[in-house]
Amino acid sequence: MKLTVDALNLTIGDQQILKDISVQTQEGQFVGLIGSNGSGKSTLLKAIYKTLKPDSGEIHLGDMNILKSTEKKVAQQVSVVSQFNELSFDLTVEQMVLLGRTPHKSLLEQDTQADFDLVEQALEKTGLIRYKKRSYLSLSGGEKQRVVLARAITQEPRFMILDEPTNHLDIRYQLDILETVKALNIGILAALHNLEQAANYCDIIYALKDGQVIGCGTPETLLTESLIEEIYGVKCSIYHHPITGGLGFHYYFEKE
Amino acid sequence: MSVGIIKTNRWFVSTTIFALLIVAILLSVGIALANGQADISIGEVYQILFYKLSNGLYGSIAGLSEANVNIVWFVRAPRVLLSIFVGMGLAISGAVMQAVVQNPLADPYILGISSGASLGATFAILVGFGGSALVLQLGLSFGAFVGAGLATILVLVLSSIGGRMTSTKLVLSGTIVSALCSSVSNLIVYLASNAEGMKTVAFWSMGSLASASWNKLTFIVLIVSIVTVFFLSQYRILNTLLLGDEVASTLGVKLTFYRRLYMILAALLTSIIVANSGMIGFVGLIIPHIVRGVSGSDHRLLMPMTALTGALFLIWADVIARATLHGVELPIGIITAIIGAPIFIYIIVKRQYNFGG
Repeated sequence: MKLTVDALNLTIGDQQILKDISVQTQEGQFVGLIGSNGSGKSTLLKAIYKTLKPDSGEIHLGDMNILKSTEKKVAQQVSVVSQFNELSFDLTVEQMVLLGRTPHKSLLEQDTQADFDLVEQALEKTGLIRYKKRSYLSLSGGEKQRVVLARAITQEPRFMILDEPTNHLDIRYQLDILETVKALNIGILAALHNLEQAANYCDIIYALKDGQVIGCGTPETLLTESLIEEIYGVKCSIYHHPITGGLGFHYYFEKE
Repeated sequence: MSVGIIKTNRWFVSTTIFALLIVAILLSVGIALANGQADISIGEVYQILFYKLSNGLYGSIAGLSEANVNIVWFVRAPRVLLSIFVGMGLAISGAVMQAVVQNPLADPYILGISSGASLGATFAILVGFGGSALVLQLGLSFGAFVGAGLATILVLVLSSIGGRMTSTKLVLSGTIVSALCSSVSNLIVYLASNAEGMKTVAFWSMGSLASASWNKLTFIVLIVSIVTVFFLSQYRILNTLLLGDEVASTLGVKLTFYRRLYMILAALLTSIIVANSGMIGFVGLIIPHIVRGVSGSDHRLLMPMTALTGALFLIWADVIARATLHGVELPIGIITAIIGAPIFIYIIVKRQYNFGG
């Protein structure tokens, strides 16, 4: 599915967080958002999944006008993985993941075998089959994050939004999550902190600064030493990894 | 840590639990009807019930004293029925409030209903809407209901100031409105210096089912049934509310709408019960907790089990209220608090119970 964000403006309180932002993704692309803290990455994502209301602009997914569609209609197409949150009440892993079917259910509609099969497949993909009957609150951070991902997969989305999904996870789980998402082969828009991972997984990257897009393109063309200095305010040398050939980044402060 | 007891063979286990609860309620109704000043056996009670409920088609009451039949059918039966519906309504309302504010410590009175109702009742008794004794009795219920309603509206408005309504704002607004209503109640009590009226207010606030009669039952039975059935059908949305505001909305739930709707309905349910039976605490707080220990947090099981368990709990609370002291009836609110407080402490101390987990 193609996502088109057109000239989006968004204000929170008296601060304009997004300034005339436009983003476009093509069918099946993995698109990354990079930018420093407070650059508007999360706000942009929240506007797309309807938690924040923009002042002006348009958002289209395929032929659906997101800003004019109901939460339910949007949730049938788009699922969201943000950082897992702690709950006051406990559920089993299976119950948590089954809730991903919510947008496809009408009132009083029962869960069918097909729904449970989808749950099973999602648990399989995220390596959580053994945890099916476990209590969600008893899991580690990495496991909780995978439960959230499994729930998002069970939603059968045609587009997925990830908001720094790998924060606080150890390396193994970070790669696990990104690999699983990549293998879904659907359109992805992901805010990422780790530039090496962004370079590795994204087809296209958008760079944000102060609520504006300051550049976009493939990782090789976009990620330059000057851009990284502009975004993060650190010096950086970029190299090709001797073994993988992927992009490597070395950050440092300039000695006076 | 476990997530409820029911995990494997869910269908079989939960059906068994429902069957047990219903049998327990039917037996308890018999015991509750047999209990009281007049000595009536359980056998007689069921004989009378069969006869009356089938409209005289089955069984007979020949050979039973007319006085006993009247006591069971006109005095005790409405009261036991009232206890069933009050218990059910408070427990359901508590479970809904806990899900809506995502806080396991919420209870049906969280929106300032108790203090609002107290203020309304105090006003009705000490200042009054004028009129005879009959109006006074009605005025108490009316005052309590209006007070509860106004307090609820005030809390909802306060918590919506400055944008989105959050759980924290709700709880804080509830506290503020409670403090405000209590002080106005106290002011009325202080200025009125009416000892008899103060006693009435005090007794009302301790809760009682003594005013039950067949006439007054219809309304409360109808409201509790309708609202309960509605909430039983909402299990899917209630479940997503547990995941937090943002997740609920990314799962397609119109959060603001449902949260407001559920709160207003739960508040309506509680207000009607409070207006009818005064303040009966702890039922809405502990019953959902106890049930979660068995069913887990999935509202599909939690809600119906909570309704039945609440009914069962209040039947027995009322039996104890009537049986503890010979010849005197204790206010039921005292009983529920004396039973409820230690249970709640036990729930908190027992660490592996993690609010539904």
